[in-house]
Amino acid sequence: MKNILPLTLIALTSFTLEIHAGEDIVPSQQIDGLVQQQIAKAGQLARPSIDDYTFCRRIYLDAIGRIPTLDELDLFIEDKEPDKRNRLIAKLLHSKGYQSHWYNYWADLLRVKYVGDKLHHPGNYGQWIKEALRTNKPYNQMAHELINAKGPLYKPGNGATGFYAREPMPLDHLANSVKTFLGLSIECAQCHDHPFDVWTQKDFYKLAAFSSRTHLRVDPTADLEKKRYAKDRKILKNKSFDEWIVYRESLRVKHAAIHGNGSGFMRLPHDYQYDDGKPFEAVQADVLFGDMPKLDYKLTKDKLNTLNHNNSGPQINARESFADWMVSPNNPLFTKSIVNRLWHQVMGTELVGPVGGLSPEEMGPHPELTEKLIEIMQDSGYDLKIFLSVLFNSQTYQSKAIALDADRTPDYVLDGPIVRRLSAEAIVDSFLSLRTEEPDRYVAIEFTWDGFTNFYEKAREMGVKDFVEYSVKGPGRGAFQKREEVAARKRNGDIGPKHLWRVSTYGHVDGVHAVAMLMGKSDRELIDSANKEPNIPQILYLLNGHLEQEIIGQPKAYLHRKLETTADPEQRMEVVWKAILGRLPKESEKPFVSHRQDDLIWALLNSNEFRFVR
Amino acid sequence: MKRRKFIYSVGMAGVTLPALNITAACTEKAKAKSVINIFLSGGLSQYDSFNMEVDQSVLGNSKIIDSNVDGMRVSHYFPTLANKMDKLLVINSMKSNQGAHPAGIYKMLTSYDPRSSITHPELGAWVSRSLTAEQDSLPNFVSIGKGSAGTAGFFPGQWAALPVMNTRTGIDFVNRNPVVDESKFDQRLDILSALNKDFDDEYGNKDTRAYVDTYQGSLRFMNSKDIDAFDLESENENIAGLYDNQEFSRSCMLAGRLVERGVRYVKVELGGWDYHDNIYGKLPANAGKLDKGLASLLEHLTQKGLLDSTLVVVSTEFGRKPDVNPNQGRDHHPDGFTCLMAGAGVKAGQIYGNTSKDGKFAADNVLEVTDFNATIAWALGIDPAHEEESSIGQPFTLANKGEARKELFA
Repeated sequence: MKNILPLTLIALTSFTLEIHAGEDIVPSQQIDGLVQQQIAKAGQLARPSIDDYTFCRRIYLDAIGRIPTLDELDLFIEDKEPDKRNRLIAKLLHSKGYQSHWYNYWADLLRVKYVGDKLHHPGNYGQWIKEALRTNKPYNQMAHELINAKGPLYKPGNGATGFYAREPMPLDHLANSVKTFLGLSIECAQCHDHPFDVWTQKDFYKLAAFSSRTHLRVDPTADLEKKRYAKDRKILKNKSFDEWIVYRESLRVKHAAIHGNGSGFMRLPHDYQYDDGKPFEAVQADVLFGDMPKLDYKLTKDKLNTLNHNNSGPQINARESFADWMVSPNNPLFTKSIVNRLWHQVMGTELVGPVGGLSPEEMGPHPELTEKLIEIMQDSGYDLKIFLSVLFNSQTYQSKAIALDADRTPDYVLDGPIVRRLSAEAIVDSFLSLRTEEPDRYVAIEFTWDGFTNFYEKAREMGVKDFVEYSVKGPGRGAFQKREEVAARKRNGDIGPKHLWRVSTYGHVDGVHAVAMLMGKSDRELIDSANKEPNIPQILYLLNGHLEQEIIGQPKAYLHRKLETTADPEQRMEVVWKAILGRLPKESEKPFVSHRQDDLIWALLNSNEFRFVR
Repeated sequence: MKRRKFIYSVGMAGVTLPALNITAACTEKAKAKSVINIFLSGGLSQYDSFNMEVDQSVLGNSKIIDSNVDGMRVSHYFPTLANKMDKLLVINSMKSNQGAHPAGIYKMLTSYDPRSSITHPELGAWVSRSLTAEQDSLPNFVSIGKGSAGTAGFFPGQWAALPVMNTRTGIDFVNRNPVVDESKFDQRLDILSALNKDFDDEYGNKDTRAYVDTYQGSLRFMNSKDIDAFDLESENENIAGLYDNQEFSRSCMLAGRLVERGVRYVKVELGGWDYHDNIYGKLPANAGKLDKGLASLLEHLTQKGLLDSTLVVVSTEFGRKPDVNPNQGRDHHPDGFTCLMAGAGVKAGQIYGNTSKDGKFAADNVLEVTDFNATIAWALGIDPAHEEESSIGQPFTLANKGEARKELFA
């Protein structure tokens, strides 16, 4: 591919220390040029640009997931330099708020969740994702590490294993991996030929062959079990159920791991129903499209078919080859999928198609634009911050948002953002912008321990006897995890009072965030589970809930402390409007000044303008 | 009424009305107007409750006692229900294909095996979606207790259960914040209405309108004449006197009050049945809750004349093994377990199906979870085979190919 991007972009990859204002203007302008061509073709008018107030609120929400505080808004408005938007974008992308906001997005996509009956504890996994965002790990590397993760689940730094551990079933895991990273839905082909697509069940099994024999094992391996643990396990089981449980669980924290790296062969299912294969027949790994990586087979398929039908051949590290294929620039879906996702996240519309329903050939309603964005992503070295920075700096992004609706929608909608509801986390984190001048203060800047990583470290020094001792004299069944969590929390140091945390800081340790759940936060059961729909309990909370005590009538809240600086009713009204809606009151709204201040704050917090970004 | 002012938007009542053809197929036979599903999460031990028709060795510490129906016998842990067996149908031949709690609960409540690519709607969401009418001011799917939320699955969120975590605190935030009086509340709504109208002129779309509609629905709910259903203290003494003061009993009373006001599906969860050890130390207290709460509910519905139109279903994700393990507990057993039904014309005072005498397998008239759910739907006049599509166009049904066992009804 021809490299059209200027060298400046490459310089930007190391822009963590300096702010390179203005340098990424060029690719942003390329996007704008392509968009303008298409608008002209569709006979549409270019959208008007937006004022600084609208821009400021929008960029805070899209880059760091909350509205700006009053001080942040004032600072930006008062800035008179022509490059101030560009500088704000760079500042936000390098702030702690970035990690907090985008963690919510990735944790939804990667389904960071406690799966109790499989002892998959998500703390280490979540930390790994946060670390990837903090260090701005290139996206292709991030994906490769997730797909190819192996070893102990709770070893600090090895949290990428959480991705494989998320599914107990290898075939489910494959379907989810493909959907996560390629935006491709092939789950139907798991059980039968795809009804309205080209993928057959055999294609699915060929793809699954790369990672065959990969599995999560929570208990020690059979050898180790026999040699070291089996005897005590039996004694404890007959002696005390609680001690036996603590013994089992503590051993699991040490030994739970992803084993296996793929044999390159897979057996067809027992009920295989098509003519191109027989039940239990071995199939050899093959890709759905793109270049087939070379595998180092030790055994031919014919030879394998003469062996027992449980045998899928020796492991040859085929899973790594699968990861190579998934993230390859030549894979027609890998880059397109992430570009489609980020466009959707920032603009609200589909660049190519549904985030979980792409096809290899499809390029969307504006193929040149898609092509260009793919190129920008690849040339940036899959640098997510650079890519976002390019989008945010475009005139396309910085134009008036339209309300996408059946009767008002133009033919072409890739010319800028649409009116969207804020994510659940952004709504709750925006409340925080009204409660404190430093909403990002307690976002962690380094690895945060939890009970499992903490115990894993401790367990490295523990011999067989220590585990028995721990189980017999230890904290007992109910308190085992809790005790480790407490120890981990001490180790983490001061993380501030809970009511000043951003939603991303809440997790398994402290339970899900109840208000964010009401607002539609993902339960992380499925890929992209977050929703933005209203429901009665959510509205009741907004009408009658804690906002009254936390913000509306709370004199200690940041908003009220700012209000105290002026007695003039009109100025106070202006403060309220700027704080909550990020703009000055309109002429037509001026009569509201006669209302009580708390009633105005309540109404603004309940308004559609607050929960939608325009 | 003042709050009408709030209504400027188009659209009906915040509710997308159901496809009427769902119910058209089989309304003639439908006797049930509502369902109360008491869900015993954790796995009720059938051999320490309602299945006594097995070898003595299977019954552990349970002693058989006679009931008020000849030939129906129960465990001595259920002395009150022993006098209500004439109202209950005991199904001893339940069978599930799921042996772990989350998967088993999911299967029982949705008819499907859990998959990592889709969430299926719970039975209550199907029922609410099928039977909700425009004038209903209470949601038609209410979930009482701390258990599973009552998911709408791939249906829009409006069909998810309204949760009542605790009968003493009731619905969270359903009353005005104490510092806001009615006229202040109305003023606030006036400002809000003006702001929203202004925003809608320029930026309105179906999402913003869904919010305006749901605000209306929520205000209608707050002001519903039926909202007092949640206030148990207002219940008449002759009904309230039927119940003791335990939370589960109160939940049953609330369920009865909701059904009286036309709510279609109420789920009441009573958890804690997962006794892998010391079952005879732990079970009696929980059994006592079920024994008293359910007996009181049956009496409540009878006195109110609601039992003929209310299907009471007692279900659990699986049963427990016929043998007591070395820790004096019983492990999971999906191969043959017990559920109960009452009301709406079920053959009360009878036992349906059985397990092998050794308690290992459902033997006669085996009832799969999907058939069980199809039967509930059928009783309500809902076609269990009606298809709805997920967002990517896959068709699903309420009962996942299950077929109604009509012979359970007289």
